[in-house]
Parts: sequence; C-alpha cells; structure tokens
Amino acid sequence: MRRNVILLSAIAVSALAAIAASAQLQGGDVRAQDVTFLGQPVTSEQIALGQKVYGEYCASCHGVNLEGQPDWKRRLENGRMPAPPHDESGHTWHHSDQDLFAITKLGVGGVVPGYESDMLAFGEILSDEEIAAVLAFIKSTWPERQRDVQARITAKEGGGS
Amino acid sequence: MKDTNMTTTPRYSTRLSRRAFLGAMVTGAGLIGLPFSLRAAPGATGPAIAFDGDALILAQDTLSRSDGDGGWIELSAPAVGSILSLATHPGRPGRIAAGLAGGGIALSEDGGHRWEARSQGLPDAPAAAVTVAAAEPDTIYAAIRGDGLWKSEDAGRSWALAMDRPWLADAERDLTALASVDLATGMGGIWIYAGTELGLTRVPDCFCRWQDVQPGDAMDALASGKPAPSEAPLPEGETINGLVSAPSLPTRLYAALPSGIWESQDAGVVWSQKLNTRALAVAVHPTNADHVVAITRDGLVESRDGGANWTALGRA
Ligand code: HEC
Repeated sequence: MRRNVILLSAIAVSALAAIAASAQLQGGDVRAQDVTFLGQPVTSEQIALGQKVYGEYCASCHGVNLEGQPDWKRRLENGRMPAPPHDESGHTWHHSDQDLFAITKLGVGGVVPGYESDMLAFGEILSDEEIAAVLAFIKSTWPERQRDVQARITAKEGGGS
Repeated sequence: MKDTNMTTTPRYSTRLSRRAFLGAMVTGAGLIGLPFSLRAAPGATGPAIAFDGDALILAQDTLSRSDGDGGWIELSAPAVGSILSLATHPGRPGRIAAGLAGGGIALSEDGGHRWEARSQGLPDAPAAAVTVAAAEPDTIYAAIRGDGLWKSEDAGRSWALAMDRPWLADAERDLTALASVDLATGMGGIWIYAGTELGLTRVPDCFCRWQDVQPGDAMDALASGKPAPSEAPLPEGETINGLVSAPSLPTRLYAALPSGIWESQDAGVVWSQKLNTRALAVAVHPTNADHVVAITRDGLVESRDGGANWTALGRA
C-alpha cells in the first residue's frame, strides 16, 4: 500500500513533467479543442502522437474506433473482463487524469491493489510522454458532456478505481 | 428460500453461454418445469423486509404491512409471483420495488396494495436482490441470479445490463444482497455494495469494476505517515442474506448473515456483531440510522439503538 502511494505521487509528477516538456517542445500555446491533461493544455501535435500510439498499442484490444471488445460487459471464460470502450459508451471518462495515467502505466492494479486483468502495464513499453499523449487523444474524442464530467472528477482529485 | 438456494451457486456450465442457457430455459418452459416458477402464483415467499416511511413491509410466507401500531394487515402480493427481495426510497414514499422469484421486478406505488410488473428487458431469472439508487430515486438496480446486475433509470419501465457478476475465489458469484451507499467513489458517483455467498464486494455506479471494500482514507493515512486504518471484515466465506445502508447516515451499514446481524459505522471497513441469531433479512429506518429491524430464525426483531438491544416484533 505504502509503495503504491509513493508510486502514484511519483507518477503524477512525471506525468506533469512529460506534459510540460512536450508543451514546451511544441512552443506552448497550441490548443487542441480545449483538451487538457493534468491541468495542462494539450497540443494538436500531442494528439497526433497519441493517435499513433493508440493505433499501435491500444487498438488491438480497445478497438480501432475506441469501441472496446464485443460484449465487453460480460466476463471472459477466464473470469477477466474484456477491454472496455474508450469512447463515451464506456467508463474511461469516469476516471481522473491521474488515475488514467496510473492505470495505463501500472495496469489496473495501480489503482485497485491486487486486481487481476488483461490490461497491460505500459510503464516498460511507453514513455510518460507517450502515455500522456495517448490519453490526451482519447480525451479529445469525447463529447462535451463526458469531457465536462471528467474534468470535474479530475479537479476533485478523484482517487478512483 | 434465499438462504438455502444461495449456498450452492449453480455454475451454469462454462461451455454453455449464459444467454444460451436462459434462452433454452425460456423455450423449454412450456415443456418442462422450470427450477423456479414462472406461473402467476400469488404469494410472497421472502423473507424480505423494508421500511416505507415509518411503516414496515414484510414478505415472509405472505405479504404484509405494519403502520406502526403493532398491527399487521395482509397485502395482496403481486400476481406475477412470489417475492425474494424488497427495496424502497425515502424520496418516493409508497413506492416499493420487489424482486420476484419467477423473474423480474414488481412495483407498487401505493404502499404495497397494488402491484405492476416492471420486467421489460430483464432476463427471466430470479431477482435475488433489489435496491434503489440513493441519489436518484427513479434508478433501480436488480441482481438477476445466474446473470448479473441490471439497471433501470425509469423506475423499472426499461432495463439494461450494468455489470456482470463479481468473480470471487475462481468463479462468478451470484449477488445475494444489494445496497446503494450514498458515498462518493471519486469517479463522479456513489457506491453499490453487494453481498455474495462468499461475503461483501462493491462496485462504483460507473460500473468500472467489482472490488473489495477498503478504508476510504487508507491512501491519505499512508501518505501522511499515520498508522494504517484498522480493518475488521465480516466473517470470511459467509453468505450475505441482507444488506442495507442507512439513508440518513450512509456510512452506517447493517448486514444479515447466518452468524447474525452485523453493523458497520465506517461503510464496511470495521464490522461488529450485534446479534448472534441466524439472520435472513434486514431493514433500516429512512431517518433514524439506529432503528433497525431484522428477520431472524427466531422471528422478527427490532432495535432502536443501533443493534445494542433487540426486542421481538409481534406479528399478529
Ligand atoms: C491486451 C489487451 C489490452 C491492450 C493492448 C490495452 N488494454 Fe487497456 N484494458 C484492457 C482490459 C481487458 C481492460 C479492463 C480491465 C478490467 O476492468 O478488468 C482495460 C482497461 C483500461 C483502462 C481502464 C478503463 C476504465 O474505465 O476502467 C484504461 C484507461 C486503459 N485500459 C487504457 C489503455 C491504453 C491507453 C492502452 C494503449 C496504450 C491500452 N489500454 C491497451 C486491455 C488492454
């Protein structure tokens, strides 16, 4: 548990750094459809990077159009849950930016200790910048309502699972 | 009935899909007898109990109502079948949702006198548990045996699957009890707690995933270097026959178990035993979290002090 807390705060810091670094790289001020990640505006370059990362690393499970695996609310034979959609029909938008980052970097076990799932921990596979970018891309696809709700959850520091 | 049926969860074959199974049951209904009745058989098996304001609704053998003077009147149970579970909401006085043994939900809007089927879209399997969303009185959740957790946002007029059943100790487990708990999840909503044949679990109302109950401040305590919060879970491996959260004090939970009535003051982290008689169902008053009634092996009992003292509740 203790390890988890330290890990999570370290993650938030590194995610912020990743965002800030790439925002600077892009020259700062390019706004992409009012999407923010961890409080920082997201650039269209980040979204483009995120889209590429999504296609290479996420689409195989979460669907090319973010639609999730078929029948995703029903457990697989091995007892695990299929990959849910990342569009507004799923529940990704119920998680704060910080939790989305933690889940993507550490797997679902990063927010629910001991939880078994087929979701990979991308910490060894993707850089923090790429993780932030893919989540920014996912967020950029949401309709306004989902984006607003998720912004409120993020603002409240929702620690959620 | 709940008690005995629950202890052996049928693992409806890992080969045969749940839908195929249900489909086969439905098509076979005319030819062979079903394991549970789909016939229009009046009666209320229960046992289940709920408060409707100050009044009590009791489904045990028959369906009855007590309006506080100690007397009970018999109600006509829903013609669609016998009742397995009951739920009410303080914001909808007179409305009672009943989970039916023969499948589906029945709803009364007049305190239990007249009933209407509200089962459109629900699988034809027993509705073992039902609860009304604490923050949205027209949202009803139903636990369908052998299937999963279903949700209606229009007081039962239409239903959609919310979540498959929880996976505990290497198998999918039926829900035996449900309670909407009006405490924030950090995901923009509140919790739904559930009982299974193996104990307690919960899911946020975004239905992200089933998970164990954990101290809400565990992360904060650890980060600030304070000692980890203490935990005293319910006895391991016991079936939860009934579960409620007090609407006036959502952190207050009561659970009915084979080992008795248990109470928690911190939303399920620390539990203490309040009665050691086999308990089948439990209900808590809408405005008084200390006022609790339970159906036990020894009959109907009531406590007005959070479970410290109990008296028998006569049923004429
Ligand atoms: C091998 C398949 C697989 C791949 C590849 C994969 N995921 Fe997942 N993901 C899952 C599964 C399965 C779940 C659901 C886990 C559960 O609830 O048990 C999940 C859940 C999630 C969640 C939590 C959603 C929620 O609302 O709870 C996030 C966020 C997520 N994935 C992001 C990603 C991202 C970003 C990528 C690409 C970098 C990715 N995933 C790639 C299988 C995968």
